[in-house]
Amino acid sequence: MNSNQNPPSPNQNKSLVDEALIEGHEYDGIKELDNPLPAWWLFTFLITIIFSFLYWIHYDLTATGPSTSAELEMELSQLQALHSAATSKEPSVDLQSLVKNSKALEVGQGVFAARCAVCHGAKAEGQIGPNLTDRFWIHGKGTPEDILQVVSKGVLEKGMPSWESMLSATEIQSVSVYVFTLKNSNPPNAKAPDGTEIKE
Amino acid sequence: MTQSHSLAEVYDDKIVRSFVLATLFWGLIAFIVGLLAALQLAYWPFNFNLEWLTYGRIRPLHTNAAIFAFAGNAIFAGIYYSTQRLLKTRMFSDLLSSLHFWGWQILIVSAAVTLLLGFSMGKEYAELEWPLDIFITLIWVIFAVNFFGTLSRRKEKHMYVAIWFYIATIITVAVLHIVNSIEIPVSTFKSYPVWSGIQDALVQWWYGHNAVAFFLTTPFLGLMYYFIPKAADRPVYSYRLSIIHFWALVFLYIWAGPHHLLYTALPDWAQTLGMIFSLMLWAPSWGGMINGLLTLRGAWHKVRTEPILKFLVTAVTFYGMSTFEGPLLSIKSVSALAHYTDWIIAHVHGGTLGWNGFLTFGMIYYLVPRLWNTQLHSKKLAEWHFWIGLLGIIIYYISMWAAGITQGLMWRAVDDKGKLVYPDFIETVTRIVPLYWVRALGGALFIAGFLLMIYNIWKTLRKAPQTRKEEIVPQQVPLKTQTHPETSHRKLEGLVTVFTVLVVLAVLAGSIIEIYPTLSLHNYIDPLKRTQPYSPLEIAGRDVYISEGCYVCHSQMIRKLPEDVLRFGPASTIEESFYDHPFQWGSKRTGPDLARVGGKYPALWHYRHMMNPRDLIPQSIMPNYPWLEQKKVDFYVLRKKFSVLKRLGVPYDENTVANADKIAEEQAKTIAAELKNGGAPAGLEDKEIVALIAYLQALGKKGGTP
Ligand code: HEC
Ligand code: HEC
Repeated sequence: MNSNQNPPSPNQNKSLVDEALIEGHEYDGIKELDNPLPAWWLFTFLITIIFSFLYWIHYDLTATGPSTSAELEMELSQLQALHSAATSKEPSVDLQSLVKNSKALEVGQGVFAARCAVCHGAKAEGQIGPNLTDRFWIHGKGTPEDILQVVSKGVLEKGMPSWESMLSATEIQSVSVYVFTLKNSNPPNAKAPDGTEIKE
Repeated sequence: MTQSHSLAEVYDDKIVRSFVLATLFWGLIAFIVGLLAALQLAYWPFNFNLEWLTYGRIRPLHTNAAIFAFAGNAIFAGIYYSTQRLLKTRMFSDLLSSLHFWGWQILIVSAAVTLLLGFSMGKEYAELEWPLDIFITLIWVIFAVNFFGTLSRRKEKHMYVAIWFYIATIITVAVLHIVNSIEIPVSTFKSYPVWSGIQDALVQWWYGHNAVAFFLTTPFLGLMYYFIPKAADRPVYSYRLSIIHFWALVFLYIWAGPHHLLYTALPDWAQTLGMIFSLMLWAPSWGGMINGLLTLRGAWHKVRTEPILKFLVTAVTFYGMSTFEGPLLSIKSVSALAHYTDWIIAHVHGGTLGWNGFLTFGMIYYLVPRLWNTQLHSKKLAEWHFWIGLLGIIIYYISMWAAGITQGLMWRAVDDKGKLVYPDFIETVTRIVPLYWVRALGGALFIAGFLLMIYNIWKTLRKAPQTRKEEIVPQQVPLKTQTHPETSHRKLEGLVTVFTVLVVLAVLAGSIIEIYPTLSLHNYIDPLKRTQPYSPLEIAGRDVYISEGCYVCHSQMIRKLPEDVLRFGPASTIEESFYDHPFQWGSKRTGPDLARVGGKYPALWHYRHMMNPRDLIPQSIMPNYPWLEQKKVDFYVLRKKFSVLKRLGVPYDENTVANADKIAEEQAKTIAAELKNGGAPAGLEDKEIVALIAYLQALGKKGGTP
């Protein structure tokens, strides 16, 4: 059953007869044919070598191609242009009028539950982030505009995320006015106040 | 065949039998651990809230076991079997053979234990700590001496192509392992690599990629060149092709490492080299596939009936697919989409399950009847193994490919306002979780097939005769007619030393050209972008990060791509990881990039997130780390750590080194107090969680940016 018992007879197959076995090449019964390198294979190999060489000349040797940093800058400025074009077209909204818009408040409540409650508590009573229902504010005076500013830009060094890339403009407006309407809601387990008291 | 009798020299097949059984045993372990890892990503409770079973430790265990335990033992089995027969001599030394065998098994067990205990270098496929690194070197030297000793007493004048590949394997793996593991010990199971930042990245992926090349490719090509012609009983298709593709592979492969680092902070010239050398590897790799497949001409009818050939042919086909996909993934724009995603996982498993796995299975089905002088218990079961295994690989591959491309496209989707469509990272995770289940199914099928094999072989061994007939080594090799004068390569095949030296030169060329420039890292640093080194507590936290294997899910490298910059902030710079021993750029983003997470959340957020990520992100698949608030930080060892880091060139002053523990304790108190104010339990000031939070809060906050 060991193949050594039946030494291979490689020329038994008709179609291979004309292929030359290389004399003297036999290892443990394994023989080798003298076939040439397949032309398409050689061609592929040469093409990849030539391409690589040209690529190297273009991007490295002569640096006529852009560097990864230059490419990045170009793409970012394109996105920036898109962004400015889009924001300049957005109509400015009067936040005060949204305060009475129940549709907006509903949206705001949804956003708050999904995004803000983990840090500010389900009723904005304060947890990881400050209580948003009291009269004490760290940033600004608690007007819808002030809140919108903090929510958009965040307070990155203190762990309040910036939301302008995460939420749409409408969502940010809605959640800001929603937070504004929570003032003096006196939720249970409220966190001790942070910041300065703003008297009306 | 012949009776074994005491006088005649016989081949040492006992060692081959041992390696075959070890392959089956470790294969089973490696595959099951892989399945566990797959399930953990699909359903986080499979982390069991146990520190030594979390994904961050299980994944390194899986990769190391699959590569070094399963594939390693398979390679050794095949090399010991074929080398003796190709050189017509018994192995050089039985003592060295068995030292090699037992040494390797002890290594595997120690690796498994230490990885689960969280002793890790934090470098992929090179996680083992310094005592084991030394042990690997030792065993590898034993193997090399045994192998080259056998070559020196060969009866065949010329070396067959399989032997060339074995030589390349032994030499290159030694070089890779030693260079990548140059490290300075701090304690019994902790050390810091001498390399840092982009230097460490380059060395690591030079190693990492060539572990694929010289541990999972060249030895298996050698095995292919032996077992396919033997099993098919056909001559090798083209000797000339063997020569060209061998030397091309050995010379080109070593350059390809930087294709793992495209668009990162690695200098552009290195990225370019990584990409173009990968492209040029396509044809040489296919040379091996062509030679394997065309050897079967005239024997295709046997493939229909012979499971051994089915496995071997399929393996070679997978080799062809993977070596086409590899160069494709190395093209910068393709890498931009695929890097950090599951596409890479798909790619790897096409290679490992298809090429390494199936070649090993074919080889074992070929060897077992010959080694135990018997017939295979059931050809039909082997046939079933083949089809179930193949189905498993296909399901695995397609699911991960789909997951990778889906997630890659979601990460880069930008709307007409120039904003990310899926700014919330978790959305892109939730979308692919169903595919994680499908992948687990694929893996389970692969294992089911493997279990059939184990059963089949167990049955075969049970009916094997008690007394074994060993094959006798021929006293002399029949004289071969050598008609034409020897070509120069033919001459080379008779000169082991010259051949080996040429292999060394071929692999060193690319290595030196790529690594040498980064040895003077300072040339790449902008002195205006100073980086502050980590504080003692942050280093303690960094070591927790490494030990827990957070790098298997999190990258710390924001690539120079708009989608990365929009999501995570300005692209990472060379300066930022300048003092990172080891670098922690990562290779997979199962979770978001952490390079700039410092200050993104308050400490309390991190505390709650680490205790249970789902408290904050309900769909999170990140494991819980409750033990971090129990385990104490070893403050005292920080002095030793800091003196080692200072020696490695991190600019700490004497005072910081001498008082590292006290400085760390002070910082820990501040963070613990802040946590307690927010409602976390008291007494955290000496716990690992505080150190980890200190480290996370420092990420991206140490300067080094414009
Ligand atoms: C990761 C936790 C976290 C999340 C999530 C979070 N915040 Fe905050 N937030 C904070 C922290 C911390 C502060 C305090 C910042 C400071 O001290 O300057 C803060 C501050 C604020 C303030 C200013 C309070 C003041 O006193 O001036 C507002 C308003 C606010 N957050 C609204 C929101 C809204 C709306 C959301 C959801 C869209 C949100 N936050 C989500 C952590 C968070
Ligand atoms: C199984 C993969 C996995 C492992 C292992 C893992 N994480 Fe995560 N991590 C995630 C995922 C997924 C998310 C995104 C969802 C979330 O925030 O929980 C995440 C999120 C995070 C975040 C929040 C990042 C942000 O910008 O919102 C931090 C911080 C973090 N992980 C730290 C760690 C640390 C530290 C470890 C090691 C102790 C670790 N992770 C291990 C998968 C993992």
